[in-house]
Amino acid sequence: MSTQGGQVIEVRDLQVRYGGRLVADVPELDVGAGECVAIVGESGSGKSTTLLSLLGLTENAEISGQVRVCGVDVLTASPKALRQIRGARAALVMQSPQAALSPATRLGVLMRRALKLHGRPATDEVMARALETVVLDREILRRYPHEISGGQAQRFAIALAIALGAEVVLADEPTSALDVTVQAEVVGVLRRLRAERDLALLLVSHDLALVSTIADRVLVMKDGAVVESGPAAEVLAEPSHPYTRELLEALP
Amino acid sequence: MTMLRAERVTLGYGRRPVVHDVSLDITGGGVGLIGESGSGKTTLARAFLGLLSPISGNIWYRGQNLKKADLRAFRKDVQPVFQAEALDPRMRVGRSIAEALPRTARARVGELLEQVGLDPALADRRPHQLSGGQRQRVVIARALAVGPRLLILDEPTSALDVTVQARILDLLASLETERLLITHNLAVVERLCRTSHVLFAGRVVESGPTSELLANPAHPYTRALRDAVPKLGGAPPEAASAPGGRTEAVPAATGCPFRLRCPLAVPACEQAPVARDVAGRQVACHRAEDVLSI
Repeated sequence: MSTQGGQVIEVRDLQVRYGGRLVADVPELDVGAGECVAIVGESGSGKSTTLLSLLGLTENAEISGQVRVCGVDVLTASPKALRQIRGARAALVMQSPQAALSPATRLGVLMRRALKLHGRPATDEVMARALETVVLDREILRRYPHEISGGQAQRFAIALAIALGAEVVLADEPTSALDVTVQAEVVGVLRRLRAERDLALLLVSHDLALVSTIADRVLVMKDGAVVESGPAAEVLAEPSHPYTRELLEALP
Repeated sequence: MTMLRAERVTLGYGRRPVVHDVSLDITGGGVGLIGESGSGKTTLARAFLGLLSPISGNIWYRGQNLKKADLRAFRKDVQPVFQAEALDPRMRVGRSIAEALPRTARARVGELLEQVGLDPALADRRPHQLSGGQRQRVVIARALAVGPRLLILDEPTSALDVTVQARILDLLASLETERLLITHNLAVVERLCRTSHVLFAGRVVESGPTSELLANPAHPYTRALRDAVPKLGGAPPEAASAPGGRTEAVPAATGCPFRLRCPLAVPACEQAPVARDVAGRQVACHRAEDVLSI
């Protein structure tokens, strides 16, 4: 299945419920190739739930609507079809990738395994090239997850996505646990990959200032609902919803 | 009067020093300690709370060496406010606050909750029944209970949503108690501190009036920090890199600790710079004048 009309993510009337309670209600969300869309909001706004539901990762949730990611209808796809897009064509980057990396496995072994699992050539050259795109030294492949810094871990997660041929990266607060100078590095890598590889980016963040510098479009969520959406420059310069204004005014 | 003073303080765990030869005064108007992970800012906070003795150097409290000071009075005068996880999960928050009060003054719990903007009825709740912002207010109320002279605030708002953070900052700014604020967040420092010190790899690299320091940094690290903070509608944050694109996060073991990722590094930087007066502040950089003129 190929991606139609350059849309990597297409969401219509998505509703996610836990035990009958509506926690995320997203009428429309599209991310095109090379585009960066951000979902912003505070704790409990439903932004992470929305992101996870796009990869079928919300356990015990009742989901309705239409979700297409890389051409796959996520809500009706077989587990096998889902596994093919997850991690490979649509990569997930979490706040703390170190927690997601197996602690007793060297990063080189981990990357090789992931490549084989997705039927990709696991050569030194492929791995070296992926690391190069995120400005990491090959030496890192000999390390264990606890031996690398948070910024290196995020860049490794992105390198893994690149090696697996990701078309879209779904990132949940990818830099909020990082120092600002390290955040700048990671953001720099993501921006470059967008430009060079037409990588699509769906970013979940509470940081409006950061979002304003990299996102083309934003969705503002509050209590599970999208209260405002549109081009980032417009929404953040002239917010129409009082909650967006409140968020902007709260910036220190 | 200087309330708390660090004089050439070196701190560490075991034999490994993590804070090197730091001198700074805590006087009026709020003092900020700015630094990233591993810069030694929390270690300095521990020393200022009397929880860690210097390997060398001295800490003075109101003119008295902390080694010889009356620690009972000191611990009442200098109160920590850390991230809100510091509450006993099983204890009702009213009791958490009452613990800090003399037996005869327990009635003040309600008054303290009001002072930090909480409904006194919340005294019967346990921490998990409160929001993150409410819990942080309880932590502040408990610190205020003993009538401290100085609050040592270590990342007091980092775990909070921005709208909640804004209200906690309003509260902290309204308190008359003197404060030392430890954070990685430049915007928060600007709001609450007249003077700031920037720490890199356990050393103070620049000290001075907060507004000037952020408007026109004289140390390349202060500049890198400031430029890395995303600004609403601004250009994407920039990572400081040495010529050749190196963004090495590891400090150099010899010479200037920042030289490996400093865009202005020259051979002279292999000699450790000594802090000197530049444009009304203290800067430890051979090229401070050049940084100012960028």
